[in-house]
Amino acid sequence: MRLLVVEDEPDLLNGLARALRRAGYAVDLAADGDGGLYKAEGTDYDAIVLDVMLPKMDGWELLARLRKTKRTPVLMLTARDQTADRVRGLDTGADDYLIKPFDNDELLARLRALIRRAAGQTHSQIEIGDVVIDTRARTVARAGQPVTLTAREYAILEYLALHRGEVITRTALYEHLLDESDDTLSNLLDVHVFGIRKKLGAELITTRRHQGYCIEK
Amino acid sequence: MNLAPLTKSIRLRLLLWLAFLFVCILTGFGVTAYQFQRITRLREIDDEFEQRVAALSADARKSLPLDSLPDAPPPAEDSGHRLPSEPGVPEVNPRGRTIHLSVETQRLIDEWDTNGFYFAFWSQDGDLLKKSVNAPAGLKLPEHLLPDTVFRVRARGDFREAFHFTEMGECALVGRNIAADLAAMHRFALLLAAVGAAVLALGLGGSGWLVSRALRPVEKISDAARRIAGGKLSERINVAETDSELGQLANTLNSTFARLDTAFARQRQFTAVAAHELRTPVSVMLTHTQNGMAGGCVNEEHREAFEACLRAAQRMRRLIETLLALSRLDAGQETVRRIPFDLSRTARDCVDLVRPLADERGVKMFTEFSPLEIFGDSERLAQVVTNLLANAIQYNKPNGEVRVKLERQNNLAELAVSDNGTGIPAEDLPRIFERFYRADKSRSTGGLGLGLAISKAIVEAHGGTIEVSSNVDAGTTFTVRLPVA
Repeated sequence: MRLLVVEDEPDLLNGLARALRRAGYAVDLAADGDGGLYKAEGTDYDAIVLDVMLPKMDGWELLARLRKTKRTPVLMLTARDQTADRVRGLDTGADDYLIKPFDNDELLARLRALIRRAAGQTHSQIEIGDVVIDTRARTVARAGQPVTLTAREYAILEYLALHRGEVITRTALYEHLLDESDDTLSNLLDVHVFGIRKKLGAELITTRRHQGYCIEK
Repeated sequence: MNLAPLTKSIRLRLLLWLAFLFVCILTGFGVTAYQFQRITRLREIDDEFEQRVAALSADARKSLPLDSLPDAPPPAEDSGHRLPSEPGVPEVNPRGRTIHLSVETQRLIDEWDTNGFYFAFWSQDGDLLKKSVNAPAGLKLPEHLLPDTVFRVRARGDFREAFHFTEMGECALVGRNIAADLAAMHRFALLLAAVGAAVLALGLGGSGWLVSRALRPVEKISDAARRIAGGKLSERINVAETDSELGQLANTLNSTFARLDTAFARQRQFTAVAAHELRTPVSVMLTHTQNGMAGGCVNEEHREAFEACLRAAQRMRRLIETLLALSRLDAGQETVRRIPFDLSRTARDCVDLVRPLADERGVKMFTEFSPLEIFGDSERLAQVVTNLLANAIQYNKPNGEVRVKLERQNNLAELAVSDNGTGIPAEDLPRIFERFYRADKSRSTGGLGLGLAISKAIVEAHGGTIEVSSNVDAGTTFTVRLPVA
């Protein structure tokens, strides 16, 4: 999953980036409204964490402009908790809001829910045959037995599972699993998919030649 | 700040003083007028008497025998009719003294006519020489106190009589019944009183109108002040007359209100800015400490440090939230929602929420709820109930009891939370609703010191009241009363 965080307070931006990366997300960062909009329009993020008070262009403005082209789920971070502000945020097209200060766990839970909803899922557990993916605990079990996946393997599996039935191109996987500063995965995608198949069964992920990967419905 | 009773009392006091002044002035004027009239009338009467006494006296002189007064002219022969004398009264006294009345005198004292004058004449020995037919019974010779011939007046009931003693010691008296004059004076007095009363009524009515008119701007000012105090801070007093004393007062008040308005606006702005400026750094702290703890700390010491930071950050966060909520409630920015809900259900939820805390402290909880629907913000009121319950548990003794009772009292929902704990000393009671005030100076309980302050603010925003009663070592009871409809 790839996220964009737009926040002008550098310490908070770094802290959020660290927390989100630890949770397995690929995270891009922007420190002002202009940069945030540029990145948000250029990439299909799975979700955007957007601060309201930003230099150059505030969160409302960014959101309004983004909504002209993209439906990316947006979680607004606001230091104001007036009802009027919340209503405005939701009316402008924000999918959720969180009032500062917040606990990391709450931010992660809301992001998971946001991404799940955007993908049409309602539960945090995804079942594919005898494979159960718990997106909350980030664990996978096969026939009731826990299976240990690497972070990359889990990320690929979760993305494919959330978009079950769709063919995901290699490019899309790169886009959603790597952030802008990371290119270590480039040649290793096949290796990770091989690892998943070895642990969870070869038939789970099918390869569409010249198209990409897919978990069949 | 209800000024109405005050203005009423100013009006009342002014009117009372004016009434007092009016009564004084009118009484003084009336009494003086009456006395003046009375004295003038009596002097007129006395002048008439004097004229007649003088005429009588002159006639008496003329009637003297020549031998007794050699230089006196002989008595003129009467041309008119002679006065008939009363039977039994001798016309001629033993010494032969007779009195002839001249025509002028007879005209002046017309004893047959209705002008009412009567006369009497006594010899120097006190014998009645002559008296008129209409003289009243019981007419007596006046006492001859001083050996002079001064004209004197005496009053005998309704009769007023004037007399004088001649140089020979004879006494001439003229009198008249002045009952009619006295009655006229009495009527005059009544007329004066009636006019005075009318003037008083008119004057008081006019003064009342003037006072009301003068005080009307005060009422307008107090009305405006009341509306402003009620929250309409943008309102101002309409100043029509800028130069009068009240106009100056209104201007002064208006500038005060403007400053108040600005202060509130600044407060609102501060709240918004503080919300952002305080929350962002706390967010940074929370995010980083949580990252640090999740990252697998190097050793136990680091872990403890992170945990301490996290606790402090969490505490700061609650503090900020509570302070901001309080300042918003203060500024009237936060209007509470008015949604009907069952207060007993909310209270029961709160009891369930704090039950682990009570179990931990070995405190037993007893509840007595009757379903009660009220209008308000259930979340906010739940915060109040939870605060009170947590306090009751926290400041209780081990194995203590907390009793929660919700019942309807007329139009009020009454929620009482009682404990049998240590109680609150009487000197702390009035201050426990103040911000950051703690009866427990050691701060060992770990609360923010804001719970009761925010509870009070929330209850009052709902139009309710909160009060406390406590006995040291016997326990404390907090009572919240909220309007039902």
